[in-house]
Formats: sequence, structure tokens, C-alpha cells
Amino acid sequence: MNYQFKWSVLWSGQSGSWLLQGVITTLEISALAWVLAAALGIVSGALRTVPFRPLRAVGTFYVEFFRNVPLLVWMFFWYFGVPPLLPRAAQDWIFNHGAEFWAGMFALGVYHGARMSEVIRAGILAIPRTQFEAAVAMGLTTFQAYRLVIVPIALRLIVPPATNESLNLLKNSSVALTISVAELTFQTRQIETYTAKAVEALTAGTLIYLILCVGIAAVMARVERRFAIPGLIARGG
Amino acid sequence: MKRLLGVVVALALALAPIAPVGAEQDTLAKIKETGVLTIGTRTGSPPFAYVNKNNEWVGFSIDLVEMLVKPEVAKAVGKAIKIEKKESTPPTRIPLLTNNSVDLIAETMTDTAQRRESVDFSLTFFYTGAQFLVKKGSPVKGVNDIAGKRIASQQGSTNAKIIREKYPQAQLREFPDQPAAFQALAQGQVDAYTNDGIQLAGLKAKAPNPGDWEVVGDFYSEEPYGMAMRKGDAKFKAAVDAGLKHGFESGKYFEIYEKWFGPKGDVPYPMTPQVKTYLLKQIGK
Repeated sequence: MNYQFKWSVLWSGQSGSWLLQGVITTLEISALAWVLAAALGIVSGALRTVPFRPLRAVGTFYVEFFRNVPLLVWMFFWYFGVPPLLPRAAQDWIFNHGAEFWAGMFALGVYHGARMSEVIRAGILAIPRTQFEAAVAMGLTTFQAYRLVIVPIALRLIVPPATNESLNLLKNSSVALTISVAELTFQTRQIETYTAKAVEALTAGTLIYLILCVGIAAVMARVERRFAIPGLIARGG
Repeated sequence: MKRLLGVVVALALALAPIAPVGAEQDTLAKIKETGVLTIGTRTGSPPFAYVNKNNEWVGFSIDLVEMLVKPEVAKAVGKAIKIEKKESTPPTRIPLLTNNSVDLIAETMTDTAQRRESVDFSLTFFYTGAQFLVKKGSPVKGVNDIAGKRIASQQGSTNAKIIREKYPQAQLREFPDQPAAFQALAQGQVDAYTNDGIQLAGLKAKAPNPGDWEVVGDFYSEEPYGMAMRKGDAKFKAAVDAGLKHGFESGKYFEIYEKWFGPKGDVPYPMTPQVKTYLLKQIGK
């Protein structure tokens, strides 16, 4: 088999603007989904550690239900399953206003929220019980103790695994192409269709994901250093 | 995983020695030696090529090879030959030809200028074009009614390309496969689904209530299906074309068409006079 490389397909014609649009869509859907995942993860992760069983059950139900169903199924659920529950006029309105993007964003955010929850729970469990007891002894309510002491410390502890989870979220955003979201992987496939140059298009996609992920990891490493509480966490270097 | 694979493949290919391109191929000599004509075809594209309920690999494209091309190739090599079938898919069919795994692609491959840079095509044996599948009574009656409408297409299809470039007022939604696009149409996420007319006719025929759906509109793209061969093998191409030409002249081709696309066929798709004229024009009639 002889394959003739033609790297110029990546910048000739519309390929460049497609790749750029793809990167923007990937970052948009990932950023919004990340905010949703972080919010859901913090709330449900905290709920799973509180000393009140019904709340723990709510947190556990959310995590087990959403993390144990494949992401692809959630994409179809939010896109095909949810809209028919709405009135016909509302359906038409959302279908005309980017239903694909929002369905993909919810699927990604809710799924990764369940995974983020476990990371946060692990962070909270890593804090000695005495911290919570000391906070309560000082007159804080349980909610205040979580909000002012437990969660802020836990969030610092979990930066490395949370980075990992964030990178997964970014890469998983490619699943949204199944419901017609024109993100980065979709655009690399488009270039392949127009030019019949699969290897070049896939290589471009690979490099862009690599750059995005390395960039995010670097930002998170800075965040970790910047917000470290001196003396609280033993760290090398 | 797929992305990683891309890099690995890219590296492997970059390091591999580049073989001479366009070396003269002699498929007839190969067939004469082995007594076998190997074709690449589909397993799930009814009625062109598919495995039926009795587990037989059949279809319109396969019949054309068996009944029209095979006798002509046998005549050219001077002995009886057998047909062997291998599965080919859109991403694999050109590589299968160039690495000699198959000699002829006979399925649902559109003859395009871009593909002609890599392979040769036989005479056109089927002619279709892009249309729309809609719910019965839909305001969409053709390509001129799609402004502002949500239109589903298949990712990477020529139809999607045309809509994006020539009809930017339409809201294009691209799905990776036919079932997802049809689901979106059935539920109202989109107002119409565009694809090759024959594909839509097949989808309609298979739907739970075929009467609820309509295939509408004039062809807004041309999709002539041809059989593909390795580039530059004039003798083999002549034999394949002679087989098809004989089929058009004797009427045998139209009998085979009737078997698959007639009123009692798998997918009723009557041949329009324009298509008939187009097919016959190829042989100077």
C-alpha cells in the first residue's frame, strides 16, 4: 500500500477555519460542562459524607445512577429522550436554538459530575474527622463547617485527581458528535471527507487535543501551588 | 484510542519506503492464473449487496457481476472463472483494490472526480441523486423549501457538503449513521432527512409504517454508481465495460433491475425515463 502525504490539506481551503471552529466548540461545551460537573460534584460529594443518612442516600443514588450508564447513552437520553416530555411548541423552540449543544453539555456535565463527586468525597474523607469536630465545637453549624472549613480544604487536596477528571471531560466531549455537535473530532472527520486524507486529519486532531490537555494540566498545576495553604499539606520541593 | 492509532499509523507510513505509484497492473493475467475474480462488496446495503434471511450474499450489484461481467471476463481469459466475495466498506474499498486484495468493487460507490484520481470506474450501472425523506404532508417538497428548516444528513456525505455550501439558510444537522438521523426525523428534531434517493426509498420500505413517509424533491446532486478497478488497467476495464454494455443492449440489465427495484422487488424504485436515457447514452444509444 502506498500512501501519499499531503499535509497542506490542513491549512488549504476551509480546513483551518473548521479546525478553529471545532476547537472553540470543544472548549465551550467542555467549559460549561465542567462548571456543571464541578457544582454537582461538590454538592453530591459533600452530601455523601454528611452525618445524615437520607442526604447521603441522595448523593449515592446520583453517583451510582449517572456514572454507571455509558456517556453515549446519556447523550441520546438528553437529545432524544428528554425533548418529547416538553410541549410541542417548546420542542420546536429548543430544536431551533442549539438543542444538540445543550443536550451534549448536560450529558457531559451530569456524567462527569458523578465522577467528580467521588474525587471530592475522597478529598473530604482525607481530612481528619477532628477538623469537623473542631469546627462544630467553635459554634459552626454543619452547613457552615462544610462551607467554611471542610470543602475549601478538600478542594485543595483533590487538585491532581480533579485535573485528571477535567482532561477526561475535555476528551469525552468528542462523543457529542453522535448528536451532531460540530466539535473538534467532528471537524477532523469533515476534513477527511473533503480531502480523503485521513492520516493528516487525525494527526491534526491528535496534536490539538494534546496541546489543549497539556495546557490545562499546566494551569491546574499553577492553581495548586497558588492556593496551597502553607503547612497544611506536606509537599515535595 | 483512535487518535493514538492515527499517530502510530502516520509514523509507520512516514517511515515505510514509498513504492512506485501507478505501476502497470494486469488483472486479467492474475485471473487467468487463479481462475478467480475477487470482488469487494457490502454485507448490509440492501438491495445492492447484503446477506439475506437465508444467509446468502446477494444483491443487485452482485447479480450484475455474476450475470454480466463474469461471462465477459471468462471470455477474455479464455477459461471458466469463479467469483469470490470479500467485504468492503467506504473507508476500506480503495485500499483493498490498491493492495490487490480484491479486483473489482461492486457495491454502492459513487463515481466522483476525486475518486478517479485513485481508481478507474466502469460504466455507470445505477443512477440516483439526493432527495429528502419527510413526514407525509410536510411543507418541504424539495431543495427550494429548506431555508430555515432543520435538515438531517449523514456525516461526511456529499449531500451534507452541498447543503452547507449552496443552501446555508438551512440548519444542517449531521448524524454519524442512518438510524440516528431517522430517529431525529421521527421525533421532530429535524424537518427532513437528506440522502441518496435510493437510500431513502430503502429506509421508507423498512420503516414500521411506510405510508407515513414520503421521498420528495428532484435530484439536487448526481450520484452515478460505478464499479471501481485499479487505475490504468485498460484490458480489465474493457472486459468489465463490455459485460455491462452487453447487459444494456440485450435488456438483461433491465431484467435484473426489475428483479430488485420493480414493484415486487426489495425496494420498489421505478426507473425514470431520464435515468434510462442517461444509462443508454453511455453506450451511444
